[in-house]
Amino acid sequence: MNISIKQLFGRRPKSSNIAKQRLKLVITQDRMDVDDRFMTRLHNELAEVLAKYFEFSVNSVQVSLKQKGNSYVLVADFPYKKFHDMNVGQ
Amino acid sequence: MGKVIVVTSGKGGVGKTTSTANLGTALALLGKTVAVVDADVGLRNLDIVMGLESRIVYTSMDVIEKQCELSKALVKDRRVDGLMLLAASQKNNKDDIQPAQMKAICDKLRTTHDFVLVDSPAGIERGFSNASAGADEAIVVTTPDVSAIRDADRIIGLLQNERIEPINLILNRFSPELVGNGSMMDQADVLDILNIDLIGIVPEDSGVITSTNRGIPLVYEDTSPGSQAYMRIARRLTGQRIPIPDLEHKGLLTNIVNWFTRKR
Ligand SMILES: Nc1ncnc2c1ncn2[C@@H]1O[C@H](COP(=O)(O)OP(=O)(O)OP(=O)(O)O)[C@@H](O)[C@H]1O
Ligand SMILES: [Mg+2]
Repeated sequence: MNISIKQLFGRRPKSSNIAKQRLKLVITQDRMDVDDRFMTRLHNELAEVLAKYFEFSVNSVQVSLKQKGNSYVLVADFPYKKFHDMNVGQ
Repeated sequence: MGKVIVVTSGKGGVGKTTSTANLGTALALLGKTVAVVDADVGLRNLDIVMGLESRIVYTSMDVIEKQCELSKALVKDRRVDGLMLLAASQKNNKDDIQPAQMKAICDKLRTTHDFVLVDSPAGIERGFSNASAGADEAIVVTTPDVSAIRDADRIIGLLQNERIEPINLILNRFSPELVGNGSMMDQADVLDILNIDLIGIVPEDSGVITSTNRGIPLVYEDTSPGSQAYMRIARRLTGQRIPIPDLEHKGLLTNIVNWFTRKR
């Protein structure tokens, strides 16, 4: 039996609220997809910052948005070769 | 120098032509000089919605091909002073016109009219580029449903890329009853998603359909809710500050009244 007490006695969530939630998610994704320039810039700037700390090949880097339940998470994949020695140059 | 405003949407059938016809007429009723331009080449409708279809001789295509002067291609609406229509060619398609040619027409019209309203075709292709080419400002029309709003967001992004500003939203076919019972998003929901300014809410009104049948824009009839909504939007376009009435509230009240008066 997979009917919860909420489903039996409670009110179902308003469909307008469901519509709003779904739209917010899909539009976030649409805006990112359309705005390739945004993702490219984010990719480059992240790489710039992280290059101070790690050694990696830029081609292996992936930055993407992934849906996780009701929200999006930014996933940045930077397979690094090694840490820079942070004491160098100080 | 007049303003050029493109009336657009992502999804089709949400009320662009209805809005162009009614706002054009409403602005003329307020004493402004107005040119309404049908940019839906190949699928023209503004002429029939306005009831001017029998008087079209020339179209914007004839002007572009220099078959006639722009002033000669404009059809004067005889019911109100200061309103003219430039029809779209029905036998051509959207690729037969260049954005620069539409812009040239709009730039010429704005020297003689306070407002130039361009009725855009649906979609994000060439028809949209043509319609928005000469625009200073935009009105995006949407209905309160998921697909229309998603597509509206896409169009808003494109308009922003073109530096067209302001971009104002018309929320069309709004139903206070449906909002009241939770089956339709209200204006706050829609604005939260789209993040642009609301210039008006037009309720679902059967008068829109009957007035279109007759070819007499709804704003000539001053009693219907749709007509009043369009008149208020027109006033806002002229710079008057008129608050947007809370239609949702009325819906709630109606619901309460209905609840007390319902047959048990
Ligand atoms: N507020 C309203 N109440 C009731 N019916 C409406 C309302 N607004 C528009 N309609 C109806 O919706 C239909 C589509 O309207 P309209 O032609 O203005 O849309 P459009 O966006 O110009 O469409 P297209 O994308 O095909 O050009 C018409 O039948 C019209 O009468
Ligand atoms: Mg239309």
